[in-house]
Amino acid sequence: MRQEQSLRTNDGAEDVIRQYATMVYRLAFARSGTKDDADEIFQEVFFRYLKNQPVFESEEHCKAWLIRVTINCSRKLWSSAWRRRVLLVEEDLAFESKETADLYHELQKLPAKYRQVIHLYYYEDLKAEQIGKILNRKPATIRTQLTRARAMLRDFMKEEDDV
Amino acid sequence: MFKETYRRLNDIIQPDKALVAAVLAGGQRRKRGAKQPFVRLKPALIAAAICLCLVLTVPVLAASVEPVYELMYLVSPSVAQFFVPVQKSDTNNGIKMEVVSADIRGDTARIYITMQDLIGDRVDETIDLYDSYDIRLPFDGTGFCGKVGYDPNTRTETFLITIKTDGQKIAGKKITFSVGMFLSDKHVYDDIQIPVDLCTVSQNPKTQTVEVFGGGGEDFEKVIDLHGRGQAQAMVPGDEEASFPVKGIDLTGVGYVDGKLHVQMQMKNSLDNSNHGYFYLKDADGNRVLSRYSFSFRQMKEQEGQISYCEDVFDVPYEELSAYQLYGYFVTSQKKTEGGWRVTFSPESQQSKD
Repeated sequence: MRQEQSLRTNDGAEDVIRQYATMVYRLAFARSGTKDDADEIFQEVFFRYLKNQPVFESEEHCKAWLIRVTINCSRKLWSSAWRRRVLLVEEDLAFESKETADLYHELQKLPAKYRQVIHLYYYEDLKAEQIGKILNRKPATIRTQLTRARAMLRDFMKEEDDV
Repeated sequence: MFKETYRRLNDIIQPDKALVAAVLAGGQRRKRGAKQPFVRLKPALIAAAICLCLVLTVPVLAASVEPVYELMYLVSPSVAQFFVPVQKSDTNNGIKMEVVSADIRGDTARIYITMQDLIGDRVDETIDLYDSYDIRLPFDGTGFCGKVGYDPNTRTETFLITIKTDGQKIAGKKITFSVGMFLSDKHVYDDIQIPVDLCTVSQNPKTQTVEVFGGGGEDFEKVIDLHGRGQAQAMVPGDEEASFPVKGIDLTGVGYVDGKLHVQMQMKNSLDNSNHGYFYLKDADGNRVLSRYSFSFRQMKEQEGQISYCEDVFDVPYEELSAYQLYGYFVTSQKKTEGGWRVTFSPESQQSKD
């Protein structure tokens, strides 16, 4: 739950930024696919955090709030008319292997909403129920999205990756 | 395995250090009273300003005896004109939850909910719906629920729910808001000094290997591999420190483990009360030293239910420890009210009736 009152000190806010910077950035990148967009989403998420100074009751609560806001900011960025007219440029990333480079390019073919559930499930280790709660969707919807995403990434999937 | 490949792909994705530094500098600017935390590449969206106006306006509206929607017209007609009354409620265990009014525009909805204790004082200004609230929509979307004000005369708290869909129109669709339980009688212990003499802390406390279920901090990922073994060396919990001033949380250990200062707190049945907090050190000038990381683990004790522990780990050499005092920030809740309240409503049908 988001609260408008601020009980934390700014020192606490800085701690939260340090702690969750990488998580927010990677999720922003997973959704947007480019570092430029991830940079912008990253700033917007923590801008909102510093503006609102929400008070969290637990680490899980804080994490869930930041995930929600990151996804909301990603959506807002993508929905801008300017953004819709811009073609994605090839990202200059130092992939550690051909396999990860291929995976990156396959992921870019997926809808953003599939990329986000893939990220939350396989990287943040959240269960479908937890993702559903954070994104306010039914767990069945999340499982369906994961199944469809997995089907589209079938060249990278093995049986043990089943949801 | 896909998971490992995906993890390797993400390992190269990091926010630029300058970017993180700019955001942290924004926090410092905010601390010094600047209105804008930091200057971003693009200006803030107008929508954010609108939301902020609502946040600033509505607490004034809600903290009164009058119904929320009437007050809106009195204080801020320009905001209130968009809200239409809903007034659907559910009462259980002496607690009434009411959907008061809603403003539905395109793919965005703002809905005011009140919770009132009809027979006691369980609803107070510290009420926390915790993770027990649920917003059900017949489409994909995200929702937030935030507190906006408390009326002590009627023991009523007002909440604002904001829902945003993927572009689908909300009007005419059924929305269900439910709350399973809530916490109240919350106490915040901010910047309290912990009466512990750091000069006497053990340099060789008894330790144990524990399974970590959570944690955070700058060094957390470096030290604890949650995706591997997920284990940490923790102090064996000692006796509860009698002078620890927080009701609902206990101090159960301070000592050095592998050259790092560990400070351990114990929380009983934390899933039921959400008690939490963290320690930090302060030097004579009031400068704070935060932990490098913290980790949580659980233990089951006979007859006492579930006990969880959190250890904050500081990178301060023992020789320098006498220059610091131990402080902390803690939040506890003393009341948990269970019931189960649910209201389903259709904003458009309400609008058409009016």
